[in-house]
Amino acid sequence: MEMAITVLLCIGLFFNLVGVLGVLRMPDVFTRLQASTCVATMGTISLVLSGVLYALSRGMGAGVWVKLALMLVLVLGTNPISNHALCKAAYQMGVKPEREMVLDDWKEDAEA
Amino acid sequence: MQRGFSFGKWLSTFILCFLFWLLLTMSFAPRELILGALVSGVTAGFAHLYFIHDDAFYLYNPVRLVLMGVYFLFVFLWEVIKANLSMARLVLSPRADFHPGIIRIPASEQVRSLYGLAAVSNCITLTPGTITMDVAEDEQGRNYYYVHWIDVSETDRDKAGEIIKGRMERWIGRIWK
Amino acid sequence: MSGFLIGAIFCVALDFLLLWRIFKGPTAADRMCAADTLDLVSAMALTLYSLHSGRGIYLDVAMVVALLGFVGTVFVARYLEGRM
Repeated sequence: MEMAITVLLCIGLFFNLVGVLGVLRMPDVFTRLQASTCVATMGTISLVLSGVLYALSRGMGAGVWVKLALMLVLVLGTNPISNHALCKAAYQMGVKPEREMVLDDWKEDAEA
Repeated sequence: MQRGFSFGKWLSTFILCFLFWLLLTMSFAPRELILGALVSGVTAGFAHLYFIHDDAFYLYNPVRLVLMGVYFLFVFLWEVIKANLSMARLVLSPRADFHPGIIRIPASEQVRSLYGLAAVSNCITLTPGTITMDVAEDEQGRNYYYVHWIDVSETDRDKAGEIIKGRMERWIGRIWK
Repeated sequence: MSGFLIGAIFCVALDFLLLWRIFKGPTAADRMCAADTLDLVSAMALTLYSLHSGRGIYLDVAMVVALLGFVGTVFVARYLEGRM
């Protein structure tokens, strides 16, 4: 049990690190938003799962693990909405992507 | 979709709010129960206009809830793990080699309702590497998603849609129509 | 278990990395993206610290931080889009 908790903790921290490095390294807003999704999905899922296993193995009472699972559901439900809103806002503000986009169907359809 | 107060809509929103309150407080003392009923009643009065669209008890079907659990535990989790690994490879490689783009992919005919469209676009956004930017409808009544894709490996729109959301959309079509 | 304490300290270190992006980001959308990620990472730090110290109140704080971060991000995004 200790082994599983430690492994899940390490996976979660690794994906948090990947997301944060992505936010620092990627060239423009859209790709930074893509990288920051890693923090919300794999990082949060693994850390919360390790916390739930720990609370169950220590017999901590139902309040702790139910609250952890509720937090996971809330984060997974709200994070895509804020990411979508920021991406759309950045596009409509007129932020130029650093790399040339391969194809941009939205701009073509807006002009047509 | 009809606007205005209806008791069924209010009741189903009230049940959801009250369950949320019970999960947060985790106590069954009568004082807490009465306070929770008051708070969730007022909240449901504001929220039911935007939350429930046509059928009031749509979300409480047990078959639908079981299918939802299976979908989120197996299909969706597997897609998220795959996308996370490829994103980790992209971020940690020394010279970033990717080609971003915004692509329009058609929605399938199975998913028609607003719940279904919202669920598919949220699932697309939750897999790292793709973000839904808009959902639009053309004159024939077909829906399209505009998706920002960090590594466009397929420019044909039907095949790209199959890569981005193929299995997820088939499962959601079974759950929410 | 001290692994949770190490994890919480690691998350706080990641927060400082994100502050660099908030300080430097060329546009407002970059700063808001980094701030949204900072919310999630600090909520996770609070969760891990609550598991280490065994005090449940930090869990509630973490949940409120995550939810309020979402609301703030959506408001700022609407403002940047020019619809407010």
